[in-house]
This record gives sequence, structure tokens and C-alpha cells, in this order.
Amino acid sequence: MEAEIRDKPSFAHIHVQLNPGESIIAESDAMASMSSDIQMSTRWNGGFFQAVLRRIFGGESLFVNEFTTSTGGSIVITQPLPGDMECIELDGNTMYLQPGAYIACEPTVNLGLGWAGFASFIGGEGLFRLKVSGKGKVWFGAYGGIFEREITDEYIVDTGHLVGYEPTISLKVGMSGGIFSSFFSGEGLVMRIKGPGKIYLQSRSIGGLTAWVNARIY
Amino acid sequence: MRHEIMARPAATVLKVNLDQGESLTCEVGAMIAMSSGITVETTSRQRGGSGGIMKGLKRMFSGESFFLNHFTAQQPNQTIYLGPSLMGDVMSHPLDSATLIVQGSSWLASDPGIVIDTSWQGFGKALFSGESMFWVKCSGTGNLFVNSFGAIYEVDVNGHYTVDTGHIVAFEDSLTFKIGKAGQSLIGSFLGGEGLVCKFEGQGKLFCQSHNPPSFGKLLGPKLRPR
Repeated sequence: MEAEIRDKPSFAHIHVQLNPGESIIAESDAMASMSSDIQMSTRWNGGFFQAVLRRIFGGESLFVNEFTTSTGGSIVITQPLPGDMECIELDGNTMYLQPGAYIACEPTVNLGLGWAGFASFIGGEGLFRLKVSGKGKVWFGAYGGIFEREITDEYIVDTGHLVGYEPTISLKVGMSGGIFSSFFSGEGLVMRIKGPGKIYLQSRSIGGLTAWVNARIY
Repeated sequence: MRHEIMARPAATVLKVNLDQGESLTCEVGAMIAMSSGITVETTSRQRGGSGGIMKGLKRMFSGESFFLNHFTAQQPNQTIYLGPSLMGDVMSHPLDSATLIVQGSSWLASDPGIVIDTSWQGFGKALFSGESMFWVKCSGTGNLFVNSFGAIYEVDVNGHYTVDTGHIVAFEDSLTFKIGKAGQSLIGSFLGGEGLVCKFEGQGKLFCQSHNPPSFGKLLGPKLRPR
């Protein structure tokens, strides 16, 4: 399989070339176009209960699509948001992705649901998180640009900007400063993230966009 | 006429240099800035040619405006900047006695040598493809500029090719498409979120956009407060 992310960081999309017998799993509605020698089949996102849980709590779809080819072909995969994409290669390790960030993966990757905790929920990131593990490539996307940080100690991230993180990371919700500055600085609640580990952040947040638009609808 | 496409693919701007007597036909509202030696004429007609109220009405059905703007340079070396209203890409596609079918609202500007007409794609296709009933049919000789939501990528179709609805920007008229299901089973296609797709057939160039406005809208809409 050969995959290339094009038009980073504003309108990233993936061009995938599949060799005979290869396949790729993609999030529901992620296919933009494909050659006719690729077959699409739809299946539960994990098992039935896993899929239902993920739909209700993880913000992911009930179903994923598997694209398979017996003769080789090409497919273009995208995300609904204008923004960046990143590809990570798992080698037996695990990564957590925020609801909606997952786009596609190789069939050797396991998709599971992990409890993220109330701190994550209060921080606007959802009660559950998507757990990707196994071996192979995973593609995830964001609204805005993606940048990664290796953190060793505590790090503070505004709510709505966290895209993915390693399992060694723990999340806590806190105020950005004192009560006064937390309410009037426009930062409000923030995530206090404890390492060591790697985190992926997005440069814009959907919450920020909708708040801006909502303030201008009359 | 020389042109330059800048700031691709997110905030694309089209700059066109017009020499004295040269003109460009543009979508209404697309002009950002221009030299003072350019005059504008707004009509529902093709430049120096046919068309009138009926053509204008048909254009409205295809998702474009009733009127067209004709910009003509009265002095040598004039420039005009054009930008679409959505974030996205612009591409140029020179036509040489050829025809390109453009998705409604994607047509940005063209050389006066190109006739802008509408092409009927049928009720069935309009109902199920999520596209308009009429498409913009651009034929003739000259340069054509098309815009999109997201980046534009080109596909050389030779045989069959499948595009999800909402991702078509333009295609050569040697291609035809039918509405079909994405997977083997109809239920599976809908559950998988792909639903119906456009299945192209023939030989020719197809231009797709990387992003899909309805998908973005579906994600954003529920988060907006009702007016």
C-alpha cells in the first residue's frame, strides 16, 4: 500500500494506492472517490456492542467501511472538516484519539473504546476515547493544523484542542488561573495533562468556530 | 490574457492580466479588486452573443446567478483579482473547441470565447446525487476557471470510476455518469454512510474536490443555534 497525504494543512486528504489483495478500513462517509476495481463492504465498527457504545459515547460512527481490491486500485479518503491529517505507524503500542479524529487505518489495527473519565468529559472531550492498537498505519485528522509535543511533566492545553495522546498521559481538568482570570481571560477551563508522553494538538477548535458563528446569527 | 493562481489551495485568488480590448466573463460577486481601466457590464447575455432572460433563468437553476459580469480592459496592461466566496481551490482549464461540464456554483470565470450554458442531467440524478438538476456546460475555445470547496485533484478516467456525491467539480463531456450504490448491497451502502455514488464511464478527465460541503454542514449545523 502506498499512501500520500496531499494539500496539508488546510485541506488534507489521502491518496491511497492498493496492491492486489490489500485493503484499508475507513470511517463512514470518508471515501471521496475510487477506481471501480475496489469493492466496498460495510461492517460494525468493532463488535455490535462496541459499535453501539462508540456511537453513543465516542462520537464515532456505528459502521466502518472496508475497501478491498483483488486487482489493485486507487482510492481517495477525506474528512468532513477543513484541516490537517497525520499518519502514525503503530508497532504493538496504543494511541488514544479524540471523538471524530479517526479517519482510516490498515486492517491489522484494532479499534476499541476506552473510558476517558469525567475529567475528559468536563473538558469537553467526551466520556470515551477511541483506542487504536496493534500493528499498522492509522490516519487521523483535525480542524486546523496538527502539531505534536513530547511532554515530560505537566502541560496545559485549552479544551477542544487535544486530538490524540499516548496511554502514558493522564488528563485532569483545571482552571487556567485564579477564578477571576479563568472567567474573564476567555480561557475558562483547561486540560492539565501529565506526561511523560506524546500529545497531538489542533490549531483551531470546532467549539471556537461555532461560538463565533453563533454570536453573529440574528 | 495571462493569469496566475495564488494562495492555493485554501484561500485561492485568481489574478488575470487583461490587455486593451480583452475581456473576461465572471460570476457575479467574484471580483475582489481591479485596475481603474476596466469597465464592467452586467447582463444576462453572453458577450456579444445570444442568450437572454431564459438563459439567465436556466443559469439560476444550475446554482449560478441570473446575471453575468463582463470585465473589459479599456487601457493596456490591466489586472483583475477574483476570489470565490467559499474557502477552496481554483483551477484553470484551457478549452480548444471542447466542452467541460461544471457542477453548479463551481464556475468562476471564462474567456468570452466560451459559451456558458446549462446542461440538463435529469430528475433522477438531481434527486439522488445531491447535485443540481442543471449543470453548467462550458464549450468553445479559451481559458476556463473553476473553483471548489477543498483542493481539486484530477483523475484520468479510462473505463469506470466512482465518485461520492458532493465531490464532483467538473468533467469532460466524453464522460457520462450514472447513480449507483457504493457497495454490493444497498442497505450496506447507506449504513456505511456512503449511500449513493456517481459512477463515471468513458474516457476523459474528471476533476474532484477533496472536501464535501454537505458533510461539513452536517457536522457544523447541529452546533449552531436556531435563528
